[in-house]
Amino acid sequence: MPEALLSARAITVRFGGLVACDGVDLEVHPGELVGLIGPNGAGKTTFFHALSGVIAPDAGRLVVGGADLTGRAAHVFARHGVARTFQTPRVFRDMSALDNVRFGLEFAGRRRVHAHDAFDDPRAILGFLGLGEAAAVPAGALTPARQRLLEIGMALAARPRVLLLDEVAAGLTHTELEASAALIRRVRDQLGVAVVWIEHAVRVLMDHVERVAVLHQGRKIADGDPRAVSRDPAVIEAYLGEEGEPERLAA
Amino acid sequence: MTPRPTLVATAIAAALLAPAPWVASDFALSLMLSCLMYVGLAVSWAMFSGATNYLSLATAAFFGIGAYVTAWGHGTLPYALAVALGGLAATIFATAVGAAVLHLRGAYFAVLTFGLGELVRHAITYAEKTWAKTVGRVITEPPAPEVVYLTVLALAMLAVATAAAVRASRFGLALAGIGSDEERARTLGVNTRATKIAGFALAAFFAGALGAAVAVRWTYIEPASVFNPFIGFQTVLIAMVGGAHTLIGPIASAVVFSVLTEVLRLQFPYAYLITLGALLILLVLYLPGGIASVFERWKWARSHA
Repeated sequence: MPEALLSARAITVRFGGLVACDGVDLEVHPGELVGLIGPNGAGKTTFFHALSGVIAPDAGRLVVGGADLTGRAAHVFARHGVARTFQTPRVFRDMSALDNVRFGLEFAGRRRVHAHDAFDDPRAILGFLGLGEAAAVPAGALTPARQRLLEIGMALAARPRVLLLDEVAAGLTHTELEASAALIRRVRDQLGVAVVWIEHAVRVLMDHVERVAVLHQGRKIADGDPRAVSRDPAVIEAYLGEEGEPERLAA
Repeated sequence: MTPRPTLVATAIAAALLAPAPWVASDFALSLMLSCLMYVGLAVSWAMFSGATNYLSLATAAFFGIGAYVTAWGHGTLPYALAVALGGLAATIFATAVGAAVLHLRGAYFAVLTFGLGELVRHAITYAEKTWAKTVGRVITEPPAPEVVYLTVLALAMLAVATAAAVRASRFGLALAGIGSDEERARTLGVNTRATKIAGFALAAFFAGALGAAVAVRWTYIEPASVFNPFIGFQTVLIAMVGGAHTLIGPIASAVVFSVLTEVLRLQFPYAYLITLGALLILLVLYLPGGIASVFERWKWARSHA
């Protein structure tokens, strides 16, 4: 196996007495599509905050493309090619959609060459996402679903090596959800970007990823092939604690 | 978005305003000077605070520091050098202070920057009493009025040109990103700390230089008059009433305010502050986006007609 692009070792994040992430390991290799699931409160988003430098972990090590970034600020992670979206879309509301996308190109992605140079043009990114005609519209005036897409565009413009997607599908209909999943695959296939994808709709996610990691109460309890993971007794146990989840998990 | 039309307009405005000392009356000239001073202060304030939504009340501190550079250098420093050094001193001060307080947001940042003005005022009062054995300084040989006017004009126009250039630059985009969602800007690669300090320091240069330039108009310089919090508040009010997220808003508002203040003071010497306050409340209530929002709405309506 090639060297890991993103390597998180024994990441621990505490909020006062609560341990949100408890010694979580994760290795992501170039071009991989990894799912990250877990019941509510499992620590998925907190783990993403650590991976993107938004929160400095209390313990553990973070290495991106061979550079040790443990404890560095979020903009350093971004400049090393870690791009992310947020659970609730965080776009620059007063700026045009085009400027929102341009932002990543001007800062995080400025000094890196992208494998896919068509994405050096913010309009090409908007076109790829089907937002071409919304270029001049202030981001805050877009529907929530389109803001979610725009956030992916902002992250793509950062010329990422690894893309962290936090619940792209929340609030979408089943058709929209399948379309989003197809889009994520396209990002990976056409751009060769590694993707880590958190999703509450476990079933759709399981259909599209090659590997899935499961968090439960801040610990990683499984990591591997989706079919094998969905039969893992520890994973079923974790989800049984939550009503309604077993059916969603059953593939 | 190119800054060129704004820069051309600024150059034309400067050329038209430059002959004023030789054609305008003393009263008109002093009114124009006050307009230009507030244009410079409000535009430079909005360049940082309007873009980032960091409400700075430090203008009075920067202005006063500049004024004291003039006071201390009077008789030895040439006027132009004192003005440049006044701006520089405020910039250095803002860099040091910015590094310490720019992680605070909202009310904390506003209150701290206000306290800053008071701190510097008391420090200078103490230093003057202890070492110079004085409470104030007299400006014995002020430069000619036209020199002061042209200097303030140059500074105001430089502030407008700088603000236009910043708005069109990567730096301006970073400041706007910080104002909209600072953490998001960071995750997209902006070193927000360095950007904020640079923006704060750049804005301070103009307040400091204007303080140094205008100070010679007062024959007597003392901490209470040059660190006047009113100058800071007035600057913030002008920028916000004009529309701090725009360039034209603070300019228009600075002119309106200066003229209005002067007219009201002449017409209603006792009620002018009350009238001014009432006008302000009405503006904030019914035009929260500032005067510039009227233009914006009009432009929007035209493009959607």
